[in-house]
Amino acid sequence: MALDGIDLSVQPGELFGLLGPNGAGKTTTVKILLGLTRPTAGEAFIEGIPVSNPESRRSVGYLPEGHKIPNYLTARQALSIFGRMSGLESDVIKKRSVELLEALSIAQWIDVRVKKFSKGMTQRLGLAIALIHSPKVLLLDEPTDGVDPVGRREIRDLLREEAKRGAAVLLNSHLLSEMELTCDRVAVLRNGKVAAEGSVEALTRRTAKYKVAATALDDALLTQFGAERVNGHVELPIEDLEKLNAFVDQIRARGGLVSELAPLRSTLEDVFVDLVRA
Amino acid sequence: MKTLVANIEDVLREAAARWILITYFLLSTIFLFIFASAVNLDIINGTLAGARLFGKDVQMSGNEIPIEKLVLGFESGFSFVLYLLCTGLSIFATAHLVPRMQEKGTIDLYLARPVSRVKLLLSRYVAGLVLAGSNILYLVGTVWLIVIWKTHVVHPRFFLGGVLILFVIATLLAFAFVVGVVTSSTAVSIMTSFGLFIFSAMLVAHDRIAAAVSHDWEAWLINGLYWVVPKTAELGAAVVTFVSGNKVPERLADTLGPQTFWTTAVFTVACLALASWLFQRKEF
Repeated sequence: MALDGIDLSVQPGELFGLLGPNGAGKTTTVKILLGLTRPTAGEAFIEGIPVSNPESRRSVGYLPEGHKIPNYLTARQALSIFGRMSGLESDVIKKRSVELLEALSIAQWIDVRVKKFSKGMTQRLGLAIALIHSPKVLLLDEPTDGVDPVGRREIRDLLREEAKRGAAVLLNSHLLSEMELTCDRVAVLRNGKVAAEGSVEALTRRTAKYKVAATALDDALLTQFGAERVNGHVELPIEDLEKLNAFVDQIRARGGLVSELAPLRSTLEDVFVDLVRA
Repeated sequence: MKTLVANIEDVLREAAARWILITYFLLSTIFLFIFASAVNLDIINGTLAGARLFGKDVQMSGNEIPIEKLVLGFESGFSFVLYLLCTGLSIFATAHLVPRMQEKGTIDLYLARPVSRVKLLLSRYVAGLVLAGSNILYLVGTVWLIVIWKTHVVHPRFFLGGVLILFVIATLLAFAFVVGVVTSSTAVSIMTSFGLFIFSAMLVAHDRIAAAVSHDWEAWLINGLYWVVPKTAELGAAVVTFVSGNKVPERLADTLGPQTFWTTAVFTVACLALASWLFQRKEF
Protein backbone atom coordinates (compact mmCIF):
# COMPACT_ATOMS: atom_id res chain seq x y z
CA MET A 1 0.00 0.00 0.00
CA ALA A 2 1.57 3.32 -1.12
CA LEU A 3 -0.50 5.48 1.26
CA ASP A 4 -2.03 4.59 4.58
CA GLY A 5 -4.55 7.11 5.85
CA ILE A 6 -2.74 10.38 5.41
CA ASP A 7 -4.57 13.58 6.28
CA LEU A 8 -3.00 16.80 5.04
CA SER A 9 -4.31 20.23 4.29
CA VAL A 10 -2.55 23.13 2.57
CA GLN A 11 -3.95 26.59 3.15
CA PRO A 12 -4.19 29.46 0.65
CA GLY A 13 -1.00 31.50 0.67
CA GLU A 14 1.01 28.64 2.13
CA LEU A 15 4.10 26.93 0.72
CA PHE A 16 3.91 23.34 1.89
CA GLY A 17 6.64 20.76 1.37
CA LEU A 18 6.10 17.03 1.10
CA LEU A 19 9.20 15.05 2.00
CA GLY A 20 9.95 11.40 2.18
CA PRO A 21 12.31 8.68 1.01
CA ASN A 22 11.78 6.92 -2.30
CA GLY A 23 8.56 4.94 -2.22
CA ALA A 24 7.14 6.87 0.74
CA GLY A 25 4.05 7.84 -1.25
CA LYS A 26 4.75 11.46 -2.23
CA THR A 27 4.09 11.02 -5.95
CA THR A 28 1.09 8.78 -5.24
CA THR A 29 -0.38 11.56 -3.07
CA VAL A 30 -0.07 14.05 -5.91
CA LYS A 31 -1.38 11.58 -8.48
CA ILE A 32 -4.45 10.91 -6.37
CA LEU A 33 -5.07 14.66 -6.11
CA LEU A 34 -4.97 14.88 -9.90
CA GLY A 35 -7.11 11.83 -10.54
CA LEU A 36 -4.20 10.13 -12.32
CA THR A 37 -4.58 7.21 -9.95
CA ARG A 38 -7.46 6.18 -7.73
CA PRO A 39 -7.31 5.60 -3.98
CA THR A 40 -8.35 2.13 -2.81
CA ALA A 41 -10.20 3.83 0.04
CA GLY A 42 -10.86 7.37 1.21
CA GLU A 43 -11.45 10.60 -0.62
CA ALA A 44 -9.51 13.63 -1.73
CA PHE A 45 -10.92 17.07 -2.42
CA ILE A 46 -9.58 20.22 -4.02
CA GLU A 47 -11.50 23.34 -3.04
CA GLY A 48 -14.28 21.09 -1.86
CA ILE A 49 -14.65 19.31 -5.22
CA PRO A 50 -13.92 15.56 -5.27
CA VAL A 51 -10.83 14.85 -7.36
CA SER A 52 -12.79 12.37 -9.48
CA ASN A 53 -14.54 15.41 -11.00
CA PRO A 54 -12.37 17.02 -13.73
CA GLU A 55 -13.66 20.41 -12.57
CA SER A 56 -11.50 20.01 -9.45
CA ARG A 57 -8.48 20.52 -11.72
CA ARG A 58 -9.67 23.89 -13.01
CA SER A 59 -7.96 25.53 -10.05
CA VAL A 60 -4.89 23.27 -10.11
CA GLY A 61 -1.51 23.85 -11.71
CA TYR A 62 0.70 20.77 -11.92
CA LEU A 63 4.34 20.29 -12.75
CA PRO A 64 5.13 16.57 -12.95
CA GLU A 65 8.59 15.20 -12.27
CA GLY A 66 10.41 14.35 -15.48
CA HIS A 67 7.71 15.96 -17.57
CA LYS A 68 7.93 15.77 -21.35
CA ILE A 69 6.43 18.80 -23.02
CA PRO A 70 5.77 17.83 -26.68
CA ASN A 71 9.10 18.86 -28.19
CA TYR A 72 7.66 19.78 -31.58
CA LEU A 73 5.97 22.80 -30.00
CA THR A 74 7.49 26.20 -29.30
CA ALA A 75 7.08 27.69 -25.83
CA ARG A 76 4.33 29.95 -27.15
CA GLN A 77 2.47 27.05 -28.78
CA ALA A 78 2.76 24.84 -25.70
CA LEU A 79 1.37 27.60 -23.49
CA SER A 80 -1.40 28.22 -26.02
CA ILE A 81 -2.47 24.56 -26.21
CA PHE A 82 -2.40 23.86 -22.48
CA GLY A 83 -3.86 27.29 -21.69
CA ARG A 84 -6.77 26.62 -24.01
CA MET A 85 -7.30 23.20 -22.44
CA SER A 86 -7.55 25.04 -19.13
CA GLY A 87 -10.38 27.13 -20.57
CA LEU A 88 -8.49 30.38 -21.19
CA GLU A 89 -9.22 32.81 -24.01
CA SER A 90 -6.50 33.50 -26.61
CA ASP A 91 -5.84 37.09 -25.52
CA VAL A 92 -5.41 36.03 -21.88
CA ILE A 93 -3.02 33.26 -22.93
CA LYS A 94 -0.92 35.69 -24.99
CA LYS A 95 -0.61 38.19 -22.14
CA ARG A 96 0.02 35.61 -19.45
CA SER A 97 2.59 33.70 -21.58
CA VAL A 98 4.79 36.76 -21.95
CA GLU A 99 4.47 37.64 -18.24
CA LEU A 100 5.42 34.15 -17.08
CA LEU A 101 8.29 33.61 -19.51
CA GLU A 102 9.71 37.00 -18.51
CA ALA A 103 9.45 36.13 -14.82
CA LEU A 104 11.24 32.86 -15.54
CA SER A 105 13.88 34.55 -17.76
CA ILE A 106 13.11 32.57 -20.92
CA ALA A 107 11.06 35.20 -22.76
CA GLN A 108 13.64 35.34 -25.57
CA TRP A 109 12.98 31.64 -26.26
CA ILE A 110 9.24 32.04 -26.74
CA ASP A 111 9.29 31.05 -30.43
CA VAL A 112 11.93 28.34 -30.16
CA ARG A 113 10.95 24.68 -30.24
CA VAL A 114 11.15 22.84 -26.92
CA LYS A 115 13.55 20.27 -28.40
CA LYS A 116 16.24 22.98 -28.40
CA PHE A 117 15.70 23.79 -24.71
CA SER A 118 18.16 22.79 -21.98
CA LYS A 119 16.83 20.80 -19.02
CA GLY A 120 16.62 23.91 -16.87
CA MET A 121 14.75 25.82 -19.55
CA THR A 122 12.31 22.95 -20.05
CA GLN A 123 11.75 22.94 -16.30
CA ARG A 124 10.97 26.66 -16.33
CA LEU A 125 8.58 26.22 -19.25
CA GLY A 126 6.89 23.37 -17.37
CA LEU A 127 6.38 25.72 -14.47
CA ALA A 128 4.95 28.36 -16.82
CA ILE A 129 2.49 25.76 -18.17
CA ALA A 130 1.47 24.92 -14.61
CA LEU A 131 0.91 28.61 -13.86
CA ILE A 132 -0.70 29.72 -17.15
CA HIS A 133 -4.24 29.76 -15.74
CA SER A 134 -3.28 31.42 -12.42
CA PRO A 135 -4.26 28.36 -10.38
CA LYS A 136 -5.33 28.52 -6.75
CA VAL A 137 -3.55 25.26 -6.00
CA LEU A 138 -0.06 24.41 -7.24
CA LEU A 139 1.28 20.87 -7.14
CA LEU A 140 4.95 20.89 -8.06
CA ASP A 141 7.11 17.80 -8.30
CA GLU A 142 10.82 18.66 -8.13
CA PRO A 143 10.32 22.18 -9.54
CA THR A 144 14.01 23.13 -9.43
CA ASP A 145 15.34 19.87 -10.84
CA GLY A 146 18.14 20.67 -13.31
CA VAL A 147 17.88 24.42 -12.76
CA ASP A 148 21.01 26.49 -12.04
CA PRO A 149 21.32 28.41 -8.73
CA VAL A 150 20.16 31.72 -10.24
CA GLY A 151 17.19 29.99 -11.81
CA ARG A 152 16.37 28.29 -8.51
CA ARG A 153 16.22 31.63 -6.79
CA GLU A 154 13.96 32.99 -9.55
CA ILE A 155 11.67 30.01 -9.17
CA ARG A 156 11.62 30.45 -5.39
CA ASP A 157 10.74 34.11 -5.81
CA LEU A 158 8.01 33.24 -8.29
CA LEU A 159 6.52 30.65 -5.94
CA ARG A 160 6.53 33.18 -3.10
CA GLU A 161 4.71 35.61 -5.39
CA GLU A 162 2.15 32.93 -6.18
CA ALA A 163 1.68 32.25 -2.47
CA LYS A 164 1.29 35.99 -1.83
CA ARG A 165 -1.39 36.01 -4.53
CA GLY A 166 -3.20 33.43 -2.40
CA ALA A 167 -2.21 30.17 -4.06
CA ALA A 168 -1.76 27.04 -1.95
CA VAL A 169 1.56 25.53 -3.06
CA LEU A 170 2.49 21.90 -2.45
CA LEU A 171 6.11 21.11 -3.25
CA ASN A 172 7.46 17.64 -3.60
CA SER A 173 11.24 17.49 -3.65
CA HIS A 174 14.34 15.65 -2.56
CA LEU A 175 16.32 18.90 -2.42
CA LEU A 176 15.89 19.47 1.31
CA SER A 177 17.93 22.66 1.37
CA GLU A 178 15.56 24.06 -1.27
CA MET A 179 12.55 22.99 0.74
CA GLU A 180 14.01 24.60 3.84
CA LEU A 181 14.51 27.86 1.99
CA THR A 182 11.10 27.81 0.28
CA CYS A 183 8.49 26.18 2.49
CA ASP A 184 6.50 27.51 5.42
CA ARG A 185 5.44 24.05 6.53
CA VAL A 186 6.50 20.53 5.69
CA ALA A 187 5.32 16.98 6.23
CA VAL A 188 7.57 13.95 6.17
CA LEU A 189 6.02 10.79 4.76
CA ARG A 190 7.31 7.39 5.77
CA ASN A 191 5.79 4.09 4.70
CA GLY A 192 2.72 5.90 3.44
CA LYS A 193 2.07 7.70 6.73
CA VAL A 194 2.80 11.20 7.98
CA ALA A 195 5.80 10.77 10.29
CA ALA A 196 6.12 14.47 11.13
CA GLU A 197 4.39 17.68 10.18
CA GLY A 198 4.93 21.29 11.17
CA SER A 199 6.58 24.56 10.30
CA VAL A 200 10.17 24.37 9.13
CA GLU A 201 11.13 26.51 12.13
CA ALA A 202 9.43 24.17 14.60
CA LEU A 203 10.85 21.01 13.08
CA THR A 204 14.40 22.35 12.96
CA ARG A 205 14.37 23.84 16.52
CA ARG A 206 15.21 20.65 18.24
CA THR A 207 18.85 20.94 19.31
CA ALA A 208 19.69 22.42 22.67
CA LYS A 209 23.12 23.56 21.62
CA TYR A 210 24.81 26.89 21.14
CA LYS A 211 27.62 27.73 18.79
CA VAL A 212 30.32 29.72 20.59
CA ALA A 213 33.35 31.38 19.05
CA ALA A 214 35.69 33.05 21.52
CA THR A 215 39.29 33.37 22.64
CA ALA A 216 40.59 31.77 25.87
CA LEU A 217 38.62 28.58 25.37
CA ASP A 218 40.80 26.02 27.08
CA ASP A 219 40.21 22.30 27.30
CA ALA A 220 39.55 22.42 31.05
CA LEU A 221 36.68 24.86 30.51
CA LEU A 222 35.24 22.79 27.70
CA THR A 223 35.40 19.61 29.80
CA GLN A 224 33.78 21.41 32.74
CA PHE A 225 30.79 22.44 30.61
CA GLY A 226 30.68 19.33 28.38
CA ALA A 227 31.39 21.42 25.27
CA GLU A 228 33.30 20.17 22.22
CA ARG A 229 35.18 21.64 19.33
CA VAL A 230 33.52 21.25 15.90
CA ASN A 231 34.89 22.76 12.69
CA GLY A 232 36.76 25.62 14.36
CA HIS A 233 34.05 26.60 16.81
CA VAL A 234 32.67 25.21 20.03
CA GLU A 235 29.30 23.57 20.50
CA LEU A 236 27.89 23.92 23.97
CA PRO A 237 24.97 21.77 25.09
CA ILE A 238 22.73 23.70 27.47
CA GLU A 239 19.84 22.71 29.67
CA ASP A 240 18.99 26.31 30.54
CA LEU A 241 20.19 29.84 29.96
CA GLU A 242 21.97 29.88 33.36
CA LYS A 243 24.53 27.43 31.99
CA LEU A 244 25.06 29.51 28.87
CA ASN A 245 25.63 32.66 30.90
CA ALA A 246 27.93 30.83 33.32
CA PHE A 247 30.00 29.65 30.34
CA VAL A 248 30.30 33.21 29.00
CA ASP A 249 31.23 34.46 32.51
CA GLN A 250 34.06 31.92 32.64
CA ILE A 251 35.39 33.03 29.27
CA ARG A 252 35.28 36.67 30.39
CA ALA A 253 36.93 35.77 33.70
CA ARG A 254 39.79 34.21 31.71
CA GLY A 255 40.17 37.48 29.78
CA GLY A 256 38.61 36.00 26.63
CA LEU A 257 36.43 37.80 24.08
CA VAL A 258 33.25 36.27 22.67
CA SER A 259 32.95 36.90 18.90
CA GLU A 260 29.93 34.71 18.16
CA LEU A 261 27.14 33.19 20.20
CA ALA A 262 24.23 31.60 18.35
CA PRO A 263 21.69 28.84 18.96
CA LEU A 264 22.31 25.82 16.76
CA ARG A 265 19.43 24.43 14.73
CA SER A 266 19.27 21.03 13.17
CA THR A 267 18.83 21.21 9.39
CA LEU A 268 15.81 19.79 7.66
CA GLU A 269 18.13 17.11 6.38
CA ASP A 270 19.00 16.12 9.98
CA VAL A 271 15.32 15.94 10.85
CA PHE A 272 14.56 13.97 7.68
CA VAL A 273 17.36 11.46 8.20
CA ASP A 274 16.44 10.97 11.88
CA LEU A 275 12.78 10.36 11.00
CA VAL A 276 13.52 8.01 8.14
CA ARG A 277 16.00 5.99 10.18
CA ALA A 278 13.74 5.82 13.21
CA MET B 1 -14.80 23.42 -27.94
CA LYS B 2 -11.51 24.89 -26.66
CA THR B 3 -10.29 21.38 -25.89
CA LEU B 4 -11.13 20.27 -29.42
CA VAL B 5 -9.40 23.28 -30.99
CA ALA B 6 -6.35 22.72 -28.74
CA ASN B 7 -6.16 19.07 -29.78
CA ILE B 8 -6.54 19.84 -33.48
CA GLU B 9 -3.77 22.43 -33.18
CA ASP B 10 -1.60 19.94 -31.28
CA VAL B 11 -2.14 17.11 -33.79
CA LEU B 12 -1.57 19.28 -36.86
CA ARG B 13 1.52 20.91 -35.38
CA GLU B 14 2.96 17.51 -34.50
CA ALA B 15 2.18 16.23 -37.99
CA ALA B 16 3.92 19.25 -39.50
CA ALA B 17 6.93 19.13 -37.18
CA ARG B 18 7.50 15.40 -37.56
CA TRP B 19 7.31 15.50 -41.36
CA ILE B 20 4.12 13.43 -41.29
CA LEU B 21 2.07 16.18 -42.90
CA ILE B 22 4.79 17.01 -45.41
CA THR B 23 5.33 13.35 -46.36
CA TYR B 24 1.58 12.84 -46.48
CA PHE B 25 1.10 15.69 -48.93
CA LEU B 26 4.36 15.09 -50.80
CA LEU B 27 3.37 11.50 -51.66
CA SER B 28 -0.06 12.72 -52.67
CA THR B 29 1.48 15.47 -54.83
CA ILE B 30 3.84 13.02 -56.58
CA PHE B 31 0.83 10.86 -57.34
CA LEU B 32 -1.12 13.85 -58.63
CA PHE B 33 1.79 15.07 -60.74
CA ILE B 34 2.21 11.69 -62.43
CA PHE B 35 -1.51 11.53 -63.00
CA ALA B 36 -1.76 15.07 -64.44
CA SER B 37 1.18 14.63 -66.79
CA ALA B 38 0.38 11.07 -67.88
CA VAL B 39 -3.07 11.67 -69.25
CA ASN B 40 -3.54 13.75 -72.37
CA LEU B 41 -6.93 13.75 -74.03
CA ASP B 42 -8.03 15.10 -77.39
CA ILE B 43 -11.67 16.06 -77.07
CA ILE B 44 -13.67 17.24 -80.07
CA ASN B 45 -17.31 18.24 -79.72
CA GLY B 46 -17.77 16.39 -76.41
CA THR B 47 -16.28 13.15 -77.62
CA LEU B 48 -12.85 11.66 -77.21
CA ALA B 49 -11.12 11.70 -80.54
CA GLY B 50 -7.70 10.70 -79.29
CA ALA B 51 -5.77 10.02 -76.11
CA ARG B 52 -2.18 9.65 -74.95
CA LEU B 53 -1.34 7.74 -71.80
CA PHE B 54 2.21 7.95 -70.43
CA GLY B 55 3.28 9.38 -73.80
CA LYS B 56 1.79 6.54 -75.85
CA ASP B 57 -1.14 6.91 -78.25
CA VAL B 58 -4.23 5.00 -77.24
CA GLN B 59 -5.85 3.22 -80.21
CA MET B 60 -9.39 4.52 -80.62
CA SER B 61 -10.17 2.13 -83.56
CA GLY B 62 -12.03 4.91 -85.28
CA ASN B 63 -14.61 5.05 -82.49
CA GLU B 64 -15.57 8.28 -80.85
CA ILE B 65 -16.21 7.77 -77.14
CA PRO B 66 -18.51 10.24 -75.34
CA ILE B 67 -16.28 12.03 -72.90
CA GLU B 68 -18.92 11.95 -70.13
CA LYS B 69 -18.89 8.18 -70.27
CA LEU B 70 -15.13 8.02 -70.33
CA VAL B 71 -14.79 10.32 -67.30
CA LEU B 72 -17.37 8.34 -65.38
CA GLY B 73 -15.57 5.09 -66.11
CA PHE B 74 -12.19 6.54 -65.26
CA GLU B 75 -13.36 8.18 -62.02
CA SER B 76 -15.18 5.04 -60.88
CA GLY B 77 -12.09 2.89 -61.30
CA PHE B 78 -9.77 5.53 -59.95
CA SER B 79 -11.86 6.06 -56.83
CA PHE B 80 -10.89 2.56 -55.65
CA VAL B 81 -7.19 3.40 -56.05
CA LEU B 82 -7.75 6.55 -54.00
CA TYR B 83 -9.70 4.54 -51.41
CA LEU B 84 -6.68 2.28 -50.84
CA LEU B 85 -4.17 5.13 -50.99
CA CYS B 86 -6.00 7.45 -48.59
CA THR B 87 -6.76 4.66 -46.12
CA GLY B 88 -3.17 3.39 -46.09
CA LEU B 89 -1.64 6.84 -45.70
CA SER B 90 -4.05 7.80 -42.94
CA ILE B 91 -3.17 4.71 -40.87
CA PHE B 92 0.50 5.70 -40.93
CA ALA B 93 -0.28 9.34 -40.24
CA THR B 94 -2.56 8.86 -37.24
CA ALA B 95 -1.54 5.63 -35.47
CA HIS B 96 0.78 7.49 -33.07
CA LEU B 97 -1.86 9.84 -31.67
CA VAL B 98 -2.72 7.87 -28.53
CA PRO B 99 0.66 6.19 -27.85
CA ARG B 100 2.48 9.55 -27.98
CA MET B 101 -0.07 11.18 -25.69
CA GLN B 102 0.23 8.33 -23.19
CA GLU B 103 4.01 8.64 -22.86
CA LYS B 104 5.21 8.99 -19.29
CA GLY B 105 5.69 12.65 -18.44
CA THR B 106 3.41 13.81 -21.26
CA ILE B 107 0.10 12.28 -20.23
CA ASP B 108 0.29 14.05 -16.85
CA LEU B 109 0.36 17.41 -18.62
CA TYR B 110 -2.85 16.59 -20.50
CA LEU B 111 -4.70 14.95 -17.63
CA ALA B 112 -3.88 17.79 -15.22
CA ARG B 113 -6.28 20.00 -17.19
CA PRO B 114 -9.97 20.37 -16.27
CA VAL B 115 -11.01 18.07 -19.10
CA SER B 116 -12.55 14.63 -18.69
CA ARG B 117 -10.53 11.75 -20.11
CA VAL B 118 -13.32 10.79 -22.51
CA LYS B 119 -13.48 14.33 -23.88
CA LEU B 120 -9.70 14.41 -24.24
CA LEU B 121 -9.63 11.11 -26.13
CA LEU B 122 -12.55 11.96 -28.40
CA SER B 123 -11.09 15.39 -29.16
CA ARG B 124 -7.90 13.68 -30.22
CA TYR B 125 -9.94 11.29 -32.36
CA VAL B 126 -11.65 14.17 -34.14
CA ALA B 127 -8.26 15.85 -34.57
CA GLY B 128 -6.99 12.66 -36.25
CA LEU B 129 -9.99 12.70 -38.58
CA VAL B 130 -9.27 16.35 -39.46
CA LEU B 131 -5.71 15.34 -40.39
CA ALA B 132 -6.89 12.38 -42.51
CA GLY B 133 -9.76 14.42 -43.96
CA SER B 134 -7.43 17.20 -45.06
CA ASN B 135 -5.41 14.66 -47.07
CA ILE B 136 -8.55 13.20 -48.66
CA LEU B 137 -9.68 16.70 -49.54
CA TYR B 138 -6.30 17.40 -51.14
CA LEU B 139 -5.93 14.11 -52.98
CA VAL B 140 -9.49 13.51 -54.16
CA GLY B 141 -10.20 17.21 -54.66
CA THR B 142 -7.11 17.76 -56.78
CA VAL B 143 -7.70 14.66 -58.94
CA TRP B 144 -11.24 15.91 -59.42
CA LEU B 145 -10.00 19.38 -60.45
CA ILE B 146 -7.41 17.87 -62.83
CA VAL B 147 -10.15 15.82 -64.50
CA ILE B 148 -12.30 18.96 -64.81
CA TRP B 149 -9.32 20.86 -66.24
CA LYS B 150 -8.51 18.15 -68.79
CA THR B 151 -12.05 17.18 -69.82
CA HIS B 152 -14.33 20.06 -68.72
CA VAL B 153 -16.62 17.42 -67.23
CA VAL B 154 -17.84 18.20 -63.69
CA HIS B 155 -18.85 15.09 -61.83
CA PRO B 156 -19.47 15.87 -58.13
CA ARG B 157 -20.00 12.22 -57.13
CA PHE B 158 -16.28 11.59 -57.47
CA PHE B 159 -15.51 14.38 -55.00
CA LEU B 160 -18.28 13.31 -52.61
CA GLY B 161 -16.92 9.75 -52.67
CA GLY B 162 -14.25 11.12 -50.32
CA VAL B 163 -16.85 11.12 -47.52
CA LEU B 164 -17.16 7.33 -47.83
CA ILE B 165 -13.38 6.99 -47.68
CA LEU B 166 -13.37 9.12 -44.53
CA PHE B 167 -16.02 6.81 -43.05
CA VAL B 168 -13.69 3.82 -43.40
CA ILE B 169 -10.76 5.79 -42.01
CA ALA B 170 -12.92 6.78 -39.03
CA THR B 171 -13.50 3.10 -38.33
CA LEU B 172 -9.84 2.11 -38.59
CA LEU B 173 -8.83 5.11 -36.46
CA ALA B 174 -11.31 4.09 -33.74
CA PHE B 175 -9.77 0.61 -33.75
CA ALA B 176 -6.25 2.09 -33.62
CA PHE B 177 -7.35 4.11 -30.57
CA VAL B 178 -8.36 0.95 -28.70
CA VAL B 179 -5.02 -0.68 -29.54
CA GLY B 180 -3.16 2.53 -28.67
CA VAL B 181 -4.83 2.87 -25.26
CA VAL B 182 -4.06 -0.76 -24.40
CA THR B 183 -0.52 -1.12 -25.79
CA SER B 184 0.80 2.48 -26.01
CA SER B 185 2.62 1.31 -29.13
CA THR B 186 2.51 3.06 -32.51
CA ALA B 187 3.97 0.05 -34.33
CA VAL B 188 1.33 -2.30 -32.93
CA SER B 189 -1.42 0.21 -33.81
CA ILE B 190 -0.22 0.35 -37.43
CA MET B 191 0.16 -3.42 -37.77
CA THR B 192 -3.21 -4.25 -36.25
CA SER B 193 -5.04 -1.57 -38.26
CA PHE B 194 -3.64 -2.92 -41.51
CA GLY B 195 -4.35 -6.44 -40.26
CA LEU B 196 -7.98 -5.54 -39.61
CA PHE B 197 -8.30 -3.91 -43.03
CA ILE B 198 -6.98 -6.99 -44.84
CA PHE B 199 -8.65 -9.57 -42.61
CA SER B 200 -12.08 -7.97 -42.87
CA ALA B 201 -11.67 -7.67 -46.66
CA MET B 202 -11.00 -11.43 -46.81
CA LEU B 203 -14.22 -12.08 -44.91
CA VAL B 204 -16.23 -10.82 -47.89
CA ALA B 205 -15.96 -14.48 -48.94
CA HIS B 206 -17.14 -15.69 -45.53
CA ASP B 207 -19.82 -17.95 -47.05
CA ARG B 208 -17.30 -19.84 -49.14
CA ILE B 209 -14.74 -19.99 -46.33
CA ALA B 210 -17.37 -21.24 -43.87
CA ALA B 211 -18.45 -23.92 -46.33
CA ALA B 212 -14.88 -25.11 -46.68
CA VAL B 213 -14.05 -25.53 -42.98
CA SER B 214 -14.43 -28.90 -41.28
CA HIS B 215 -16.21 -27.96 -38.02
CA ASP B 216 -19.50 -26.20 -37.39
CA TRP B 217 -18.00 -23.97 -34.73
CA GLU B 218 -15.37 -22.73 -37.21
CA ALA B 219 -18.08 -21.85 -39.70
CA TRP B 220 -20.06 -20.15 -36.96
CA LEU B 221 -16.95 -18.20 -35.90
CA ILE B 222 -16.19 -17.04 -39.44
CA ASN B 223 -19.77 -15.97 -40.09
CA GLY B 224 -19.91 -14.29 -36.68
CA LEU B 225 -16.68 -12.40 -37.28
CA TYR B 226 -17.98 -11.21 -40.61
CA TRP B 227 -20.84 -9.43 -38.86
CA VAL B 228 -18.59 -7.95 -36.18
CA VAL B 229 -15.71 -6.48 -38.18
CA PRO B 230 -15.99 -3.49 -40.56
CA LYS B 231 -16.75 -4.32 -44.18
CA THR B 232 -13.68 -2.86 -45.84
CA ALA B 233 -14.04 -4.71 -49.16
CA GLU B 234 -17.71 -3.89 -49.49
CA LEU B 235 -17.09 -0.27 -48.61
CA GLY B 236 -14.41 -0.08 -51.29
CA ALA B 237 -17.01 -1.38 -53.73
CA ALA B 238 -19.51 1.08 -52.31
CA VAL B 239 -17.15 3.97 -53.15
CA VAL B 240 -16.87 2.76 -56.77
CA THR B 241 -20.62 2.18 -57.05
CA PHE B 242 -21.42 5.59 -55.59
CA VAL B 243 -19.02 7.38 -57.93
CA SER B 244 -20.29 5.52 -61.01
CA GLY B 245 -23.91 6.11 -60.02
CA ASN B 246 -24.75 2.59 -61.20
CA LYS B 247 -26.74 -0.04 -59.41
CA VAL B 248 -24.88 -2.43 -57.14
CA PRO B 249 -23.26 -5.12 -59.33
CA GLU B 250 -24.99 -8.49 -59.11
CA ARG B 251 -21.93 -10.24 -57.68
CA LEU B 252 -22.04 -7.80 -54.72
CA ALA B 253 -25.81 -7.64 -54.35
CA ASP B 254 -25.80 -10.04 -51.40
CA THR B 255 -23.07 -8.34 -49.43
CA LEU B 256 -23.36 -4.66 -50.25
CA GLY B 257 -26.40 -3.12 -48.63
CA PRO B 258 -27.44 -1.00 -45.65
CA GLN B 259 -26.00 -3.64 -43.29
CA THR B 260 -22.53 -2.83 -44.71
CA PHE B 261 -22.83 0.67 -43.30
CA TRP B 262 -24.60 0.09 -40.03
CA THR B 263 -22.45 -2.87 -38.94
CA THR B 264 -19.33 -0.82 -39.69
CA ALA B 265 -20.79 2.17 -37.85
CA VAL B 266 -21.61 -0.05 -34.86
CA PHE B 267 -18.04 -1.37 -34.89
CA THR B 268 -16.71 2.21 -34.90
CA VAL B 269 -18.92 3.34 -32.04
CA ALA B 270 -18.08 0.18 -30.06
CA CYS B 271 -14.35 0.78 -30.56
CA LEU B 272 -14.66 4.39 -29.43
CA ALA B 273 -16.72 3.38 -26.40
CA LEU B 274 -14.20 0.67 -25.48
CA ALA B 275 -11.23 3.01 -25.96
CA SER B 276 -12.94 5.65 -23.79
CA TRP B 277 -13.79 3.13 -21.07
CA LEU B 278 -10.26 1.73 -20.99
CA PHE B 279 -8.70 5.19 -21.03
CA GLN B 280 -11.02 6.31 -18.24
CA ARG B 281 -9.96 3.38 -16.06
CA LYS B 282 -6.26 3.46 -16.88
CA GLU B 283 -3.89 4.39 -14.07
CA PHE B 284 -0.92 6.59 -14.95
